[in-house]
Amino acid sequence: MKRSKYSDIKNIFIDTVNNDNFVELETTLFNYHILEESLDKPLKMILLFGKPGTGKSMILNRLFHNLKDKREIHYFEAPILSEKEFLKNIYESISSQSIPPNMRVNFDGLLKYCQKLKGKREIVFLLDECQLYSEALMEKIRLLSDTRVVKFVITLHKTENEDIIAKEHFKTRIWEIVELKNASIEDLEIYIQKKLIKKGFVEVANMISKKDIKFIHTYTKGNFRETNKFLYIIFNIYEYYDIYNPEKISGTTKLSKKILEMTAIKIGYIHD
Amino acid sequence: MINTKELEKRWYKYKTKSFLLLFSIIAIVILLIYGGYYILYKLDLNMDKKEITKPTAVMSAVKRVEDKNITINKPMPIPTIVKEVIEKVEDKQSDIVSLSPTIPIIDLESEKAKDITKEKVHSKKTIKRKETYRKKHIEKRKKLIRAKESDYLTAKELSTKKHKILIKQDKKKIDFKRTTSNYMNIMKEKFNENKNPREALLIAKAYYRAGNYKKSEEWALKANNLDKNIEESWLLFAKSKDALGKKKEALKILIAYYNQTKSAKVKLLIEKISSKSI
Repeated sequence: MKRSKYSDIKNIFIDTVNNDNFVELETTLFNYHILEESLDKPLKMILLFGKPGTGKSMILNRLFHNLKDKREIHYFEAPILSEKEFLKNIYESISSQSIPPNMRVNFDGLLKYCQKLKGKREIVFLLDECQLYSEALMEKIRLLSDTRVVKFVITLHKTENEDIIAKEHFKTRIWEIVELKNASIEDLEIYIQKKLIKKGFVEVANMISKKDIKFIHTYTKGNFRETNKFLYIIFNIYEYYDIYNPEKISGTTKLSKKILEMTAIKIGYIHD
Repeated sequence: MINTKELEKRWYKYKTKSFLLLFSIIAIVILLIYGGYYILYKLDLNMDKKEITKPTAVMSAVKRVEDKNITINKPMPIPTIVKEVIEKVEDKQSDIVSLSPTIPIIDLESEKAKDITKEKVHSKKTIKRKETYRKKHIEKRKKLIRAKESDYLTAKELSTKKHKILIKQDKKKIDFKRTTSNYMNIMKEKFNENKNPREALLIAKAYYRAGNYKKSEEWALKANNLDKNIEESWLLFAKSKDALGKKKEALKILIAYYNQTKSAKVKLLIEKISSKSI
């Protein structure tokens, strides 16, 4: 099968949580530093929350990669919904010992084990997608954080339930809250440009005008995940034309309005 | 890879829809503007009508000619002369007045015959007048030049001679007739070349000013035959008719033309002619 330069460009926008894909925007960097600083404070839990696609996982991932060599930090990328598995993973991360499959971790025993480490060690756990954890498990997380040996950075989707979770489990705990928001038009422009330039597609980056960014922002509302999806489809269409109908895109120095609209139709933003 | 062909079809569908939507929005906006303007204009016009239609005798009469079926609740008193004209117009005029109005056909030959008899009477009078003037003039001359056939004249004879010479010297005659006829000839030549109704109208005007109403009528008709939309040709034709003493005909023409155009000028002239007759 023929390959096009657009095949590589579209892959830039595949939504993956990868430290290499992290784009340093003013707002994201600001939030990242708050989070990093809060880890040095005597906080039990730190909450990172925002709407889906605002970059919570990306920040968590970056935090882990930047700090893994400096401090004891563990990152639970996918939520562990089974209580047994969760406690097992916590114990194994702290003790660096694996538990045989036919055995389980006793929560009281784990608490006592943590209390013994007080003043000696400080272990940070990064938990993504915490809205999926059960209330009972969240309660156990809270009790573990009370030992002041284990610190949790948790991410939550900004949903209606998040307030309830906050009230019932964490309202008495001292913690930092970092809220992530959708990108503005300016941020989105920098985000797209940086992503393309980082991979060496300066020419393509220049093709995207402020007007195109505004168009994209109108539909994606500055959501990074949605924007990635949008750009992936744009360059997917470009790839198709480049291979099968190159005359349709030959000599273009600007992003085609038609292709932008086709993308919006494809995703379902525009109804035909 | 995405099925771009299918996506393109959907895009064309979307574009058509959005174009139609835009088009309909523009059409609605235009309609609203036009509607608003029309309503305002109509209201304004009605207001004007209320102010203008202080029903004069002629106007009410004209209204009756215009629409026979409309019954006026309070008919205004109509002067007898206008009534007669209107009745005749009503009798003769067809119910449907054509959009391109024509001057009612006038038998020019009979008109000419009438004019010839008038001219004959007129010429007889003028001949008489001229003869009496010639006789008087001869008598005067007889009285004035009674000088002896000698080289010397008496003081009285000399003064009479001098006076005569002086008078002769003072009279520097300008041949107006000649200049006007020159103008007419030039204009007529011009008209013959290009058949421009405006030139015919200018000639008609010149004749009217000169008091030759017969000719002005003739040239106004010529202008009108070439272009029926020149209002002045109608007015001048009617005025010439009026000047020739054919008031009824003049009114008849004007009323017929007014029914078509509702021209204020025509209305004014109708009023003027009819008031003269009153």
